[in-house]
Amino acid sequence: MTAQSLSRPLSSGQMPPARLLRIGATLLLIVAVGLFAAMAPGFATASNLADVAEQSTVLALLAFGMTLVVIAGGPDVVRGGIDLSLGANLGLCDALYAAMSNAGHGDGTSALVAVGAGAAVGLVNAVAIIRFGVPPLLATLASMNACAGLELVVTQNTVLTTDSPLLGIVAGPGALGLSTTDWILVAMTAALLLVMHATPVGLRLRAVGLHPRAARAAGLPVAAMGAGAYVAAGTLAGLAAIVQAARLSGSSPGSGDILLSVVLTSLLGVVFSRRLQPTIGGTLAAVLFIGCLVNGFQLVNVSSYWVNGIEGVLILSVVALRSLLQRPG
Amino acid sequence: MSVAAPGPAALRGIDLARAVRVMLPAVMLVIVACFAAASPTFRSGGNLVHVLINDVTLPALASLGMTLVVSTGGIDLSVGTAADLAALAAALTVTQGGDALLALSAGLAAALCVGVVNAILVAGFGIAPFLATLGILFIGESVQQLATNGGAPIYVVSNFPPLLDRLAHGAMLSIPIPLILLAMLSALTRLLLARTAYGRRAHATGIAPAVARHSGVPVRRVLAITYILSASLCGVAGLLLLATVKSYVPLSGNAFLLDAIGAVFLGTTISRDARPNVPGTLLGVLLFGVLRNGLLLVGWNFYWQQVAVGLLVLVVLGVSFGVRRRGRE
Amino acid sequence: MNDQAGEAALSLQGLVKRFGATRALDGASLVVRRGSLHGLIGQNGAGKSTIVKILNGLLQPDSGSIAIDGRQVVDASPRLIERLGVHIIHQEPMLVPGFTVAEALFLGDEPRLGAGRSPVVSWRTMRRCAEEAIASRFGLALRGDTPLDQLGAAERQIVQITRSLLKAPRVLVFDEPTASLVRSEANRLFAIIRRLREEGAAVLYVSHYLEEVRDLCDTVTVLRNGRDVATLDPARTSVAGMAALMVDRDLGAMFPTRSSLPGAPLLEARGLGRSGAFADLSFTLRAGEILGLTGLVGSGAKELVAALFGLAPADRGTLLLHGRAVMPASPSEAVGLGIGLVPEDRRRNGVALDASVAENATLPGLVRFVRRFLLDRGREQEAVRGLIARLAIKTPGPDAPVGALSGGNQQKVSLAKWLGTGATLFLLDEPTVAVDVAAKVEIYRLLADLAAGGAGILLLSSDLAELRGLADRILVMHRGRLVAELRAADATADEILTAASGGAAGSAPDGIAA
Repeated sequence: MTAQSLSRPLSSGQMPPARLLRIGATLLLIVAVGLFAAMAPGFATASNLADVAEQSTVLALLAFGMTLVVIAGGPDVVRGGIDLSLGANLGLCDALYAAMSNAGHGDGTSALVAVGAGAAVGLVNAVAIIRFGVPPLLATLASMNACAGLELVVTQNTVLTTDSPLLGIVAGPGALGLSTTDWILVAMTAALLLVMHATPVGLRLRAVGLHPRAARAAGLPVAAMGAGAYVAAGTLAGLAAIVQAARLSGSSPGSGDILLSVVLTSLLGVVFSRRLQPTIGGTLAAVLFIGCLVNGFQLVNVSSYWVNGIEGVLILSVVALRSLLQRPG
Repeated sequence: MSVAAPGPAALRGIDLARAVRVMLPAVMLVIVACFAAASPTFRSGGNLVHVLINDVTLPALASLGMTLVVSTGGIDLSVGTAADLAALAAALTVTQGGDALLALSAGLAAALCVGVVNAILVAGFGIAPFLATLGILFIGESVQQLATNGGAPIYVVSNFPPLLDRLAHGAMLSIPIPLILLAMLSALTRLLLARTAYGRRAHATGIAPAVARHSGVPVRRVLAITYILSASLCGVAGLLLLATVKSYVPLSGNAFLLDAIGAVFLGTTISRDARPNVPGTLLGVLLFGVLRNGLLLVGWNFYWQQVAVGLLVLVVLGVSFGVRRRGRE
Repeated sequence: MNDQAGEAALSLQGLVKRFGATRALDGASLVVRRGSLHGLIGQNGAGKSTIVKILNGLLQPDSGSIAIDGRQVVDASPRLIERLGVHIIHQEPMLVPGFTVAEALFLGDEPRLGAGRSPVVSWRTMRRCAEEAIASRFGLALRGDTPLDQLGAAERQIVQITRSLLKAPRVLVFDEPTASLVRSEANRLFAIIRRLREEGAAVLYVSHYLEEVRDLCDTVTVLRNGRDVATLDPARTSVAGMAALMVDRDLGAMFPTRSSLPGAPLLEARGLGRSGAFADLSFTLRAGEILGLTGLVGSGAKELVAALFGLAPADRGTLLLHGRAVMPASPSEAVGLGIGLVPEDRRRNGVALDASVAENATLPGLVRFVRRFLLDRGREQEAVRGLIARLAIKTPGPDAPVGALSGGNQQKVSLAKWLGTGATLFLLDEPTVAVDVAAKVEIYRLLADLAAGGAGILLLSSDLAELRGLADRILVMHRGRLVAELRAADATADEILTAASGGAAGSAPDGIAA
């Protein structure tokens, strides 16, 4: 046997593409925030930044759900994990909460119905995808249609205004000058970070998504974990719906439009992670980045019509960069 | 060890696979029969033509493009964008006093632009089609909002060019022109996909891209052609929509997207090897059209139609993928 | 039989497994004893992989019995099998890409903080245990937080084996473990396996490298057509004897006799180079000639073939095809020039498993069936039937999916693609790896026929018997350069190996099975 070294370490001096991308993305974030801070006088104030977090909470909860699904389903966009029903699910749960509340039901019941409905949609997705093997893209596209229809059935395409003690608390001020919504974001982020990084769940979920056969060989309940991710995502949509109801004082049509931002942030989050993988932390960074962008544009009086276009350009540049960097040679 | 009888199990697998292939036509027949029994209006010839023109033709055109794209293993989320931008360009041309031919050329050119950009992103940069076309969808929304000051429709009722009007409302040999157009383009797409070298290469690219490349298939060219054709077909749909309603409503083309994806994948269930095919896609679009029309006529709320379509797609896909998965095991 | 071997650790008796009409296993039996290394050989389709899948709990036999340590196993699931102490080291390691060494070792069984029952993982303990486990077993200092993709194939294999060893296995099954290893890595693996035997493990070693099995194992079971046809002592059997048992056919007649009358130069390379891959290659391939090409991993031979097919074009030198300067920049350009490639990774690059035999076979040369923009399906079917007959492809018909064929027949389809396209230069990259002997013989015959018909064939192979039996001349590459050109008729295995390893005689080179 020769004494040659078996490992092939990365040649020194050459920065791994993943790190390059992460540093680039972080720089971009800093530059954007810096620009807004310089151009929009109100941007860099604590209260405005707290507002950004508050405005981002619904998106963050949905994007966390999407992140779980992508981790457990694998990174392939078409065959891997994706949940297109999150936006419509949010709308449906919000409408259900408002309708229940207006029908005189208590906060507990209404909230339970909303979150339960979210979880149920997740379960339907899980059954179609895990049990019957429908590609996630198609299954969640169909359930998105059904949810959007159900929302319309509940609301008759009108704005449902509602008010309840729970919504008052959620929308109201909390400790340390932050709103309760801000604290919900902090608490959910902390809880998910804990589950994904301190317990074996994160590691196992990654194994299920990246190499299901190896996960099965390691004795993991692959199907149950994959299904769990969809149910968790649905539940998060239900929770987000209550925050949304508090923000809108009820429900209004069109909340399904948030889907594209959810997809964008879960993709963008990948570049903020160490190994170009979806993570809760990366997704949070992406959500806040988009939140700052939207907020900053408002403050410097750029038309909101630009927002979609800029998000589109962002998606394309991230993925183009990634495919260029990962190209061999 | 349990001793299983080998024969019947295998036979059952084959029969089930056959059953899946006739499932879509069977569901179609059942639905038509139910509605025909329940609603006299549904049975009338006038209603049939109405369904074909109003509920089927436009999504069918977009679905033809989607059939090509899905054959190459991709997906085109920008079908609505191409249709909308074509309609926008044509509407602007007409309001500026341009004649019908100029408007049609402007519209097709706009759609072609979308196709070329998609082609560059997917074939040139190697970006995953889902992400590339998602980015274009975002950017297209911005463009439309900016061009219409936030989404105000453009009405072109006065001075509407007669040629455009005939395109939508005229008839040849008492067959409505939109139907003739659809029949011609369907036949062409069918020939292209099933009987030409391009079609064979497109399928090979979709099934096994590495094998296609190693067999000398010009994969990038095939992809580029596919996305350009898809956008062109959607452009025709957008122009037809403009001619039909004599106005351009921003973002209205997005309604085609779900139908197109759903129809293509429903259509794959009638093919022996589960490939996208034009007859299957048309059957899928027809099913959606008939379902919507029938539910409307039997008095179901418009909102329930969406729920029904979503659930139906979920069930049909669930059964077909479930059986295929069983067959593979 | 090894007389020192202990009691039976794994006993399979009369296993039968049917898939539709075919019997993958037809009464196969074997017994692996404690402290012994038991080889399992057989052609593709003989039933080796079915046995591995049954041992994995992925398949249930239709009849027959499995006993582990004397205990009958009924309705084995992967979990039950693993709990009973049977561990399988797969051909491709079952390791999650992107994981670190420690994560891969402890996935599903992560060390916890505190008393061991807490839900919180102790990542530090995990790293430390991983490093200790690998160091104590294999004397290898691997950091626990090293990502797997920075490891070589052998190190990944070591991680995989360590993972199994952590669970105190009763029976270890190695399924073609050296397929992705170079020679020195394989040698290292053999030392590890021998040590496991000395420690009392029962090892079942599944391979189609007969030399390996002969050198390593105490007992060998030969499978043929789903049945164990012999259990023998490898020390008293020759490789040729084992092969004969596998196939019922004499190995000596494998290679067709060829009358070599090379014609005009077909392909001429002058100072061909690609930075980082190979440099300054000059050689000539004549019409009617089979030119062998060989080299170790990293010799540049693979890259040369990739360059000739336009997958990664050369950036220096000139290439003459039929006397015309060419430099294909893409595979489609190469195909247009009349170059065909039978790639090594058949299932990935060679044939589309979900497409039919006909669709695969005509993919490169579709143009010839186009009449007024449309494909002439009748003529295509006719041509495909001709190809099926010519290559003796065993298929239910032209419309059967290639995935339903055996490996050898899939490889024939991969070759059939280029017949009838007008290709004059055939590049073959390890054309007979994982191909059964019968199909091998037919492929050799076909290559000889093609050459006799005036084609030029570049045969990249690490099978020395194949090179010497089939080629006219053999080019040997080392570190990106051409180091020897040998007449196949005179070349000895020693000569080729010495040249391939850079002329340093005596050292065992990587990657070439002698």
